[in-house]
Amino acid sequence: MNDERDIILDIQHVTKQFPGVRALNDISLQVRRGEIHGLCGENGAGKSTLMKILAGVYPHGTYDGTIMFDGHELALGDRSIRQAIEEGIAIVYQELTLVPTMTVGENIFLGKEPVERGAINWDKLYSETQKVLGLYHLDIEPHAVIKNLGVGKMQMTEIAKALSESAKVLILDEPTSALSEAEIDKLMEMLETLRDHGVTCIYITHKLDEFFRVADTITVMRDGSVVTSQPTANLTREQLVSYMVGREMTERFPKGNRQPGEVIFEVENLHAMPPEGGDREVLRGVSFNVRRGEILGIAGLMGSGRTELVMTIFGEYGHITDGTMQLEGRSITIASAHQAMTYGISLVPEDRKVHGLVLIQSILKNISLANLEQFSTLFSINNDAEMNESMKFARSLSIKAPSLQAKVDSLSGGNQQKVVISKWLMSRPKVLIMDDPTRGIDVGAKYEIYKLMNDLAEQGMSVIMISSELEEVLGMSDRVMIMCEGRSTMTLDIAEASQEKIMALATKTVVAAPLVSIPLSL
Amino acid sequence: MASVTSTPVPTPLVTSSFAKQIRANLQTYGLIAALILISLFFAYMTHGVFLNARNISNLFRQMTVTAFLSVGMVLVIVTGNIDLSVGKLAGFVSVVAAVFQAQIWPQLLPNQELLTTVLTVIISLGVGVLVGVIQGYIIAYLRVPAFIVTLGGLWVFTSLILIVTQGKTIPANQPIMSQIAQAYLPNDLGWLLAALVVVFLVVNMVLNRQRKTRYGFALAPIYLDVARTAFFAAIVLAYVYIVNQYNGVQLPVLLLAVVAMVMTYVSNNTRFGRYAYAIGGNREAARLSGVNIKRNIFTIFVIMGGLCGVAGVVLASYVGYGTTAAGQGYELDAIAACILGGTSTLGGEGTIIGAMVGALIMGSLTNGLQLLNSPTEWQYLIKGAVLILAVYADVRLRRNR
Repeated sequence: MNDERDIILDIQHVTKQFPGVRALNDISLQVRRGEIHGLCGENGAGKSTLMKILAGVYPHGTYDGTIMFDGHELALGDRSIRQAIEEGIAIVYQELTLVPTMTVGENIFLGKEPVERGAINWDKLYSETQKVLGLYHLDIEPHAVIKNLGVGKMQMTEIAKALSESAKVLILDEPTSALSEAEIDKLMEMLETLRDHGVTCIYITHKLDEFFRVADTITVMRDGSVVTSQPTANLTREQLVSYMVGREMTERFPKGNRQPGEVIFEVENLHAMPPEGGDREVLRGVSFNVRRGEILGIAGLMGSGRTELVMTIFGEYGHITDGTMQLEGRSITIASAHQAMTYGISLVPEDRKVHGLVLIQSILKNISLANLEQFSTLFSINNDAEMNESMKFARSLSIKAPSLQAKVDSLSGGNQQKVVISKWLMSRPKVLIMDDPTRGIDVGAKYEIYKLMNDLAEQGMSVIMISSELEEVLGMSDRVMIMCEGRSTMTLDIAEASQEKIMALATKTVVAAPLVSIPLSL
Repeated sequence: MASVTSTPVPTPLVTSSFAKQIRANLQTYGLIAALILISLFFAYMTHGVFLNARNISNLFRQMTVTAFLSVGMVLVIVTGNIDLSVGKLAGFVSVVAAVFQAQIWPQLLPNQELLTTVLTVIISLGVGVLVGVIQGYIIAYLRVPAFIVTLGGLWVFTSLILIVTQGKTIPANQPIMSQIAQAYLPNDLGWLLAALVVVFLVVNMVLNRQRKTRYGFALAPIYLDVARTAFFAAIVLAYVYIVNQYNGVQLPVLLLAVVAMVMTYVSNNTRFGRYAYAIGGNREAARLSGVNIKRNIFTIFVIMGGLCGVAGVVLASYVGYGTTAAGQGYELDAIAACILGGTSTLGGEGTIIGAMVGALIMGSLTNGLQLLNSPTEWQYLIKGAVLILAVYADVRLRRNR
């Protein structure tokens, strides 16, 4: 369809040096006009650096090599970020950059509102918004306020905003990490629409399936270099993974060797109201138990109450109105995170940047934050013991950092997650709850975290893992508890579980139905 | 089993190299450079008067009241709060102290000056702490924003000052009371204290290195540790040498140094202090790490109140009167000192030592401009410009790092 030689973006021998690190090492890469070009690689492989060069974050002259864009050399100067947009390079970052209190239209035209005689022409703004949304078949109301939209529609709005600048190349940096399966389907359709409109798209993700669904070409980066760049049709999933990690990866999920023991933690018919009030229960009857040395998966769609459940158990979310919790046979109530920790329950929270880390502080201070009581009196902290203990966990989890004094916001996602996990392991829990522990981290780091979970379970810890990825749930858990609309619909033994069964239970409320009657169609 | 071996991983090193420390403290050092520049400028303009012993001594004494307030303010701002009431609260404490000194004790306990002065101090501190408890409770437990509560407090204390003084000026210049802000240590005692501080610095350095060795941590090169210790020792010795040329070490400055050191220790080496920085850095992460946020913020406002009590006593003693204008605008000086000293308005970052240098810069400006007989109407303009310029320079410095 496209002329093989119609190259819109030609990156030639680009090298980018940071103090002490060569982030990009003689990169050459060609992107054809109108294709969806998948880009993957472990965290730290240099993808983000390369994209930042294209987006003008690092202007011309701060790197070596040349970039030809649409027939001329891309030389982004002083106003480099704005210039990149004017050249037709639009980037949608992983973190959304919308103003939550403004409408879709206001966001799309933020900074370029149509003005007549000094006043904004709102009618024009909204009709233009409608046009942009209509062009790509987006079902979004231009007057809707962003914060009232789901994550999926926010992401679409973000993309529409990028496209409204008449972008020639659209860069999407992990757009699906916060989306549900249905929303991802929508996004995939949208990408295909864009391709039909001739927009070139560079698509970065950790979810390799998405490449095989939409990408025409896949480029793999590793350690600042391009490992391979070839048509999707020539690649298999296994090849792709081995290119990424630089080794053969025959199994995505390490197999553990464990025999779960007796029930250690049990939740019975838990009901809870949201903390901000209202009369709608967030938990409407949740029951499950976890055994010693077991990994219990919790599956459910976004909004099914998974995160609310574990936050409530941890004493930091809803008001419990009914139900009981038992730890080692004793009935317990938990009113705060501190109390949960004294019982030996720890929570690796959902969003590490929002709930897990103090980004401006060092690795050391983050790891020790929840555990300072271990090496301090009321009047002093034993700094050396703190360092010593934190070091043990940083080493055993292989956190990659120049020192424990490095700030956590300088680390990659996988390493940040390891810092959060270190913090909670140091509290020596009996029950470790992990809310989506591998979200947004690369394949290699995921694998390390899986291995760690297996080790912990083998040592007798009970691990409760919430996951959005069904394969992960199936690959790691001994049993799966499925939630739907604030209820636990069923707990399945892993041997009887399948993606279809889980999805059926997660999308329909099946109360105490025998397994055989579960509809397998989806 | 798994066929994947994880890639070899560099072991995280524990280095606290000097270069890194310098970078971490770049702001503080930049600030000291600014202070030196300002001093040299005024020294030149005043033909050396600015740097003579008498002026240095007065300069430090002048800045103590707002410096006490900034010590507490650092922690308040670090947790992402603000306290607008500190100036008027200190003023209120100072008039309460004056009322007790001039009106209540002479009737209730005549001719018991030492006892009554001690009682005045205790009552003053009590008033400060009590106000801290009330404001802290409303902020932390009733969840009214600190900005609102302390803005309200500012007006409440303005009123209370007028009610208590009935618009009059009340003397607080009784001999013992005056000593608090106006006494000087004998020269020998000053040297003794300086010597003790130097010994403490050296012992601390040696013990620190020993402990690090015992835990097997990498040590900074010895000459760097020595250089740092020598630097601080030199400052202390130089200070004592200068002020001994004129009456000796000032009692309120000594008091301030002790309070600042204690609070620095508290902020760095106790759970309470660590939690304050974590709350300011990411409240949610702190909450989920089991930090009792309400109690921490409550405690910080109680400490802030207590420090307002201290500042109020020193103010009454320094001025010698409780007046209706007492403490007017001090809250802004205290906040400016913190910001100049590198405390982030976003919370999570800031040091007490930085705020002290910030207070010194503000004090130097006021003092220098007074020496130059520059018209009052220009003084605020210059202070404002320097504040904005300094923070701009800091923003630039950080971006280039």
